[in-house]
Amino acid sequence: MSLRIREVVKRFGNLTALDGVSLDIDAGEFVCFLGPSGCGKTTLLRVVAGLEQADGGEVLLDDRDLIAVPARLRNFGVVFQSYSLFPNMTAARNVAYGLECRRWPKNRIAERVDEMLRVVELADQAQKYPPQMSGGQQQRIALARALAPDPSLLLLDEPLSALDAKVREDLRLEIRALQQRLGITTIMVTHDQEEALTMADRIVVMRSGRIEQVGSAHELYQKPETRFVAEFIGRMNVLPVEGGAEALHFAGHPLHLQRTTKDRTPAVLGLRPEEIRLSSSGGTEAPNRIPVRVRQSIFLGNITHVVLEVSDNAQPLVAEVHAGDDQPVTEGTMLQAELPANALRVLEWR
Amino acid sequence: MAVSATTAGTGATRKTNHDRMPMIVASLLVGVPLLLFIVYPLAFILGRSFSTPEGFGFDNYLSMLTTSRFQGILYNSFEVTLVSTAFAVIMAYAFAYAVQRTLMPGKNVLRIVALIPLFAPSLVQAQGLVLLFGRNGLINRTFGTDIDIYGYWGIVISMVLYVFPYAFLILSTALAVTDSRLYESAKMLGAGPWRTFRTVTLPSTKYGLAASVFVCFTLVITDFGNPMVIGANYNVLATEVYNQVIGQANFERGTVIGMVLLVPAAVAAILEKYISRRQYSLVSDQSRPLVIVPDRVRDLAFAGISAFIALMILSIVAVVIFASFVHLWPYNMTMSLRHYAFDVQNGIEPLWNSIYISLMAAGLGVVVVTASAYVIEKFKSPVTRPLYFLSILPAAVPGMVLGLGYILAFNNPSNPVYLIYGTLIIIAIANVYYYHAQGFLIASTSMKQISGTFDEASATLGGTRVQTLRKVTLPLIAPTLIGVAVFFFMRSMVTLSAVIFLITPQTQVAAVSVLLLEDRGATNQAAAFSVCIMATVVGFLLLVRLLLRLAGIKNVSLIR
Repeated sequence: MSLRIREVVKRFGNLTALDGVSLDIDAGEFVCFLGPSGCGKTTLLRVVAGLEQADGGEVLLDDRDLIAVPARLRNFGVVFQSYSLFPNMTAARNVAYGLECRRWPKNRIAERVDEMLRVVELADQAQKYPPQMSGGQQQRIALARALAPDPSLLLLDEPLSALDAKVREDLRLEIRALQQRLGITTIMVTHDQEEALTMADRIVVMRSGRIEQVGSAHELYQKPETRFVAEFIGRMNVLPVEGGAEALHFAGHPLHLQRTTKDRTPAVLGLRPEEIRLSSSGGTEAPNRIPVRVRQSIFLGNITHVVLEVSDNAQPLVAEVHAGDDQPVTEGTMLQAELPANALRVLEWR
Repeated sequence: MAVSATTAGTGATRKTNHDRMPMIVASLLVGVPLLLFIVYPLAFILGRSFSTPEGFGFDNYLSMLTTSRFQGILYNSFEVTLVSTAFAVIMAYAFAYAVQRTLMPGKNVLRIVALIPLFAPSLVQAQGLVLLFGRNGLINRTFGTDIDIYGYWGIVISMVLYVFPYAFLILSTALAVTDSRLYESAKMLGAGPWRTFRTVTLPSTKYGLAASVFVCFTLVITDFGNPMVIGANYNVLATEVYNQVIGQANFERGTVIGMVLLVPAAVAAILEKYISRRQYSLVSDQSRPLVIVPDRVRDLAFAGISAFIALMILSIVAVVIFASFVHLWPYNMTMSLRHYAFDVQNGIEPLWNSIYISLMAAGLGVVVVTASAYVIEKFKSPVTRPLYFLSILPAAVPGMVLGLGYILAFNNPSNPVYLIYGTLIIIAIANVYYYHAQGFLIASTSMKQISGTFDEASATLGGTRVQTLRKVTLPLIAPTLIGVAVFFFMRSMVTLSAVIFLITPQTQVAAVSVLLLEDRGATNQAAAFSVCIMATVVGFLLLVRLLLRLAGIKNVSLIR
C-alpha cells in the first residue's frame, strides 16, 4: 500500500521535532529515514505508527486519513530497537500475540505461527523464552511477530543497532530479501548510512525536523544537494571558494567547473576523495591541478587515505588511493592533485 | 493559517474522544476510594479539632497546647523518638554493614533474626522487656536485683528493637550496591579503612541513612503499643490520644493531639520522599561488584556486634514464647499448655478475626495498589499528580489518627460506609489504606521497570489496553504482587495503631488482645496470643515460599 505524509508537524514543548514534513512512499517500496540523532526520523516513524499524535498535517494510507486511527487499529507491523519481545511468553506465543488480539481461530493461529517461524528460520526455537535466545534471534522473532497479522505497512525502528556487527550484516540482507519477497511497503529508521545504502530503495535524509533530500543511494552519493547530505553520506572534501563565477579560486589556485550559471556564484564546492587524482609534481600546468604536500598516509588495506596539505591555512584535502594504483606515497612528498571539473559539485551558493 | 488551525483542532478533538472516557473512568475508580478512605476521615478530624461549644475556633488547641501536662508529653515524645531513632539507625547501620560488607560467619541466620520483629505484634518488645526486666521479670526474680525498666528507658529500648528491622532493610539495600572501582581507587590513593569509610562508604549511603532516620522517626513517634505496656507514668503523644479517646471519651482533645502528631510524622514522611527522589544511581553498567576480602579482626568484631543485637531480639521473642508455656508467671514456672486453651473472653476468636482481616487486606490491598499504580503510570492526565499525592499520603498519617478519623466519619448512620462499620471489612479497609503508600510504591516501582516498549509493541500488534494489562503487564509484575499481598498480610496481622479505635467486642483482633490481656495482668495469655500471631505470620510466609517454589517462581522478596 502507498503512504502519503502531508505537512506533518510535531512539537514537544518548545522543541519542534517535525517541521512540516511531506513524503510519498510507493507500494512495495523500502524507504529508510536516515539522519543524526535528534533529526526527527524516529518521531516521524512513530507518527506513522500512531504511537505519537501529530500536531498538524495528514498521514494517508491509500487515501485513507490515519490521523484519527489509534495505533492498534492501523494494522502496521512494528519492530523496535530491542527488547520488545514479551519476556513472559515463548517465541511462538509472541508471534501469536497479534493474531490472538485479532481473535483468529486457534488452528489458524497455530498454522500462521509455524509458517512465520519457518520464514525467519527459527522453527526450532518456538518454545524458547526471549532471554534464552540471542539478540539476532530475538529480532527475527520480533520481525515474525510484526509480519504475522499480514500488516499493510512494516515499520522498523533501528532494528539492528543493538546487535553485533556480523549478525547485523546478515540480518540486513535477510530483511531486505524478505521484504522483496513479500512486497510489503517498509519504512526503516536508522542512523547508520551503510545500513541505509545497502537496504533501501530510497533514502530520506533528515535534519532538524525537516527532510534534507530524498533519493536512491546513487543519487544521494553522486548528486548531494546540500553540504549536510554530502558530508553525511560518504566522505566529502569541502572546498570554500572565492571569486566570481567565471574565475573561481580555491586557496589561491584557479578552479574550473563543468557548468556555471550566471545568476549564482558558488561558495562551497564538494569533491569525493576517490575523485582526486595524484601525480608526481613538476608536470605541466593543467586546469584544476594544484600542488600539494603529503601530510599523512593512512593505510587501510584495500585503500589508502592520503591527507594533502594545500597551503598553511586551508583545510587539508583527503584523497583515496586504491592499493596497486601507484607506488606508496611517503609523507612529506610534493605532489600534483587534479580536482576534475566534472566531479566538483556546488554544495553552497553565495 | 486558518487551515492549519483547523487541522490541529480536529486532531485534538479526535484524541479527546479516544482517550478521555477510559481515563476518566479509571481515575474515578482509583481516586474516589482514596478520597473516601483517606481524605474524608482526615477532614473530619481536622473539623472536629476546631469544633467547640461556641462554634469553630482555636479554643481546643489553645486550652490543650498551653497546659504544662501537654507540653511535658510533647517533650517526652520528641525525647524518646530522637534517642530511639539515633540508637536504632546506628545499630542497624552496623548490622547491615556486617551483612553486606564483611565475611562474618552466620550471615544468613543473623539476617533472618534481624527481621523477626516484623513477624510479631508491634508491642512484643515491651512485652518481652517486662518479662525480662520487669518487677516480676526473670532477671529481678532470679538475681534479686531491683532494675526498674518502666518508663523512659523501657520505651527507648523497646522502640529501638521495634524499628530496627525497618532501618536494617533500608540500609542493607543501600549498602548492597556499590562499585568496587571506587574502593580500589581509594586504596591506590593511600586511604586507610576509616578514611575510606568516611569518604566512600558513608557518602554513597547517605540517602539510605536519611531515609532510615525519617522512617524510624515516624514509626517511633506514632507507636503506642510499646509505651502503653512499658511506659508507666511516662506519657507520649500516641498514648495520650488513646487515653483521651478511650479513657475519657474526649474526642476533641484526641483529635487535637492527633493533629499535633500528624505534623512531625508528615514532615518526616515528606522529607523521606524528597530525599529518596533525589537519590540517583551510583552504579553504572560499568560498575563492578565489590569483592570482600577476608579480614579476621574486622569479621570477628562485626560478628560480635551483630550477635549481640541478634541476641537482644531473640531473647525478647524467646522469653515471650517461654512465658506462654509457663503455668503462672512468675510464681509457678512449670511447663503448661493451658494458656493455649484461650479460656479468656472471646477465646481464640480474635486470632481468627486477625487472619480473616489480613487475608482480606492482602487480597483487597493488591487490587487497590495495583489499580492506583496502573492508572498513575499508564494514564497521564492532569489528575496524575493529585492521584500520586493521595496514594502516598497515608505514609504521613499516623495509624491512630486515621483510625480516629474512621470513627468520626463513618460511625454515622447517614453515611453509606456505616453499613460495614463495626465489621471486619472496615478494619481490613483501614489496613489497606493505612499501608497504601508502601504497597503502592512497590507496585509502581515494579511497573516502571517494565519497558514502555511492551505497551507500544502490544498496541501496534492490535492489543487493547485491557489485553495488554491481562496478557503482558500483570504476568510480568505478578511475582511483585505476591510480595505486596504478603506485605499487607504481615502488617495487618501485627498492627495495633490503625485498628485500635475500630474494633468492637465482636471484631476484636489478636494484636489488641495482647494489649488488653497485658493491661489486665494476664501475662501468660498475652504471651500465648503473641506467639500465635508470630506463628501465623511465619507459617504464612513459609506457605507462600513453598507455593512459589512449586510454581517455579524465583527471586521474589517477600519481606518488606
